Amino acid sequence: MIYKILLTIWMNLIIAAVFLYVEPAAGFPGEVSRILFFHVPTAWVATLAFLLSMIASSVYLITRKVNADFLAQSSAELGFLFCFLATVTGSIFAKATWGSFWNWDPRQTSIVMLLMIYGAYFVLRSAVPDHEKRRMFAGVYSILAFCTVPFLVFVVPRITTSLHPEDTLNPANPGMDIKTLIFFLGSLCAYTGLFVWMLRLKVRMLRIMDREQRAFRSNF
Amino acid sequence: MHPTKSGRWITQTVSSTYLSEAVAIWLRDLRSEFRTRYAVNSILMFALTTLVAVSFSIGSFRIEESERPFLYAVLLWIILVFSALSGLSRSFVKEQEAGTMDILKLSARPQAVFLGKLFFNLTMLAVLELIIVPAFILLMGYKIIFPGCFVAMMVTGGLGLGAGTTLVAAMIAQANARGALFSALSFPLLLPLIITAIKGSERAAYGISAAGWPEVKIAAAYAVIMITVSLLLFPLIWEE
Repeated sequence: MIYKILLTIWMNLIIAAVFLYVEPAAGFPGEVSRILFFHVPTAWVATLAFLLSMIASSVYLITRKVNADFLAQSSAELGFLFCFLATVTGSIFAKATWGSFWNWDPRQTSIVMLLMIYGAYFVLRSAVPDHEKRRMFAGVYSILAFCTVPFLVFVVPRITTSLHPEDTLNPANPGMDIKTLIFFLGSLCAYTGLFVWMLRLKVRMLRIMDREQRAFRSNF
Repeated sequence: MHPTKSGRWITQTVSSTYLSEAVAIWLRDLRSEFRTRYAVNSILMFALTTLVAVSFSIGSFRIEESERPFLYAVLLWIILVFSALSGLSRSFVKEQEAGTMDILKLSARPQAVFLGKLFFNLTMLAVLELIIVPAFILLMGYKIIFPGCFVAMMVTGGLGLGAGTTLVAAMIAQANARGALFSALSFPLLLPLIITAIKGSERAAYGISAAGWPEVKIAAAYAVIMITVSLLLFPLIWEE
């Protein structure tokens, strides 16, 4: 409960500050650079969630503990949500700076691939009736899919060059001024906190659903 | 069993290797396929239908000369990938439908089963490519400047197709709604390979020096990685 309240205050502070306190970055028309505080954290959380889902799947395949699969499933679902948000915010930024919502930039290509892989992951989950098998297949598929990701990293840039801003808005680059950097990191923390909170809710929900189903079945 | 000089009995077991088991499964699948011709017919008919549709609507002169290498590569790989996706799941689905899955589980080791099914799928793909690619080249007037590079791209691309789909076929055989599921699950895994294969075939048909070899290597690496990972993961979905 206290976690939720603190998170709410923190996120509101960050949102207010990035619009009222931080100046927009030079080299971008108007206010568009403010998307940095929302787009990059969602993409970061999506990456984190998919990685966590992959690790949890591997743990499930090794130990066969149901909790690991709950974590893998919740993490994949939240990763999908954040990945979708990153696609939408990125698309808005693309319209504002490159002139079109969609132009198959390598970044856009790889994010669509991710959405497709995890879309297929959920389809697979819904298509296997047996619980044990479903968990096993989902784990196997997520590892298999993860192995194709390096190819995207190397193959897609060979086809076209990217317009995605790297240098001007990269936090590791000294080009970002200190005020922007602080609030960027603040926003990153806020989004990660939001992810952790949602993840715990989701895992708890799955656990309760599983227990209820088991109780329901034992009645017969 | 026979006694040694020291008088002790040693057991001589006829140990079959992974490879011999895999080859046995491969030959058995080929024989049963030869009798019914279900998979090969559905794959080939699908491929021929799309090829005829493409050739009829585009013909060999509709596209401008400069655009041909790229657009023909795209069309060729769309035909190949989707016909492969229409039939490759048969290798495992037919075991499920005939109820022979459990006997197969008892009679061979999981990795050998995987290899046997992979060989079978690769045979299907070889038949598909041997018929469709020459037909496509003839019907569309596809000029290939570097045949060696083009053939290598077809071989490694086919290997990758088989490697990326065999494990998925084993999974969907045990799930509901098999037909649609196979394409939905395989396509995201195959996309890097398809992009590579299209690029490689396009470059093999270009007039510049044979620049398609990096793509051939990428496709070969994809096939090797997918086969290795599948071999490691296959026992998990095969045994219960």
